[in-house]
Amino acid sequence: MADELLVVRCQLGEREALAELVRAWHAPLWTYVRRMLSAGAADDVTQEVWLAVLRGLPRLKEPGRFAPWLFTIARRTVMDRLRHEYGAAEAELTAEPVADDPAAALVDRAELVAGLAGLPVREREILVLFYLEDLSVEDCAQICAIPTGTVKSRLNRARRLLREHLMERGYQQ
Amino acid sequence: MMGDLSGPSPDDALARLSGSLSRARRIGAVVALVAGLAGLVFVGLLWATEPGELPGRTRVAFGGLMALCLVWSGYGGWALTRRVPMFALDRVVAAWIALAASVLTTAGLVAVVPRQGVAAIVGAVLIGVSVVLAVRAHLRRAALLRRKRELS
Repeated sequence: MADELLVVRCQLGEREALAELVRAWHAPLWTYVRRMLSAGAADDVTQEVWLAVLRGLPRLKEPGRFAPWLFTIARRTVMDRLRHEYGAAEAELTAEPVADDPAAALVDRAELVAGLAGLPVREREILVLFYLEDLSVEDCAQICAIPTGTVKSRLNRARRLLREHLMERGYQQ
Repeated sequence: MMGDLSGPSPDDALARLSGSLSRARRIGAVVALVAGLAGLVFVGLLWATEPGELPGRTRVAFGGLMALCLVWSGYGGWALTRRVPMFALDRVVAAWIALAASVLTTAGLVAVVPRQGVAAIVGAVLIGVSVVLAVRAHLRRAALLRRKRELS
């Protein structure tokens, strides 16, 4: 409800509402983008997402569904960047786990966060959306353009991979 | 990959978006589009309704003016569709700018173009389109204001 009001005020053209919207959603957006990309790329991509959001906002038909719409744009921008970085769409979607920064575990706030870097893109993405962004299975399905059943199976696989990955790193079950 | 999670602050992001959020830039794009189209119609109709054969240099001048108007309208259209967001209030302002330009262009056409019937028809089309745009912009804004009151 609060988001819908904020988005409607933005669509009307209230400048302070736009600032409020960016302040409210910048951290969740950054969290998602940063979990998917390196720091340098995340900065650029986050800005690209905000530009696309501002340009698309006047045409958003369901202001109450702002969050899934925002993350759909974010996902598309992230995937474009990954395709650009890895060369081919299939390559990025089935990419091998990204090499982890040895210092990461020292600063990460939770085991989930610490293990994410070791997961393939698809599984990492679904965990970030579902657990870190607190989005519903239906919203995740809309954002990733897949059926809800696929979201659930991908979540199961992601949890299993994460568990295995954390155990390899020495975390207790 | 996952180490440093401190990103730019929301205020940094806002500062970098200020260009896209500039109202002057949006209005500038609208003026470029409207003035370009109005100039294109005006010069084009003037040229098309000339009774006699125009000298070569005059034709070049007319062609150059039309090309200039086309470039400005193209820039305005590109900026409005690809670069700057048009919120409800901007659309209302843009529609009124278009209506004012249409009335001025029509008055100019009727005063200058030799075949006044053609000028009146073209002017009526311009004004009609502008009125439709203005009504749609006002309806959209009214619907959003209504929704805002419901949610407040």
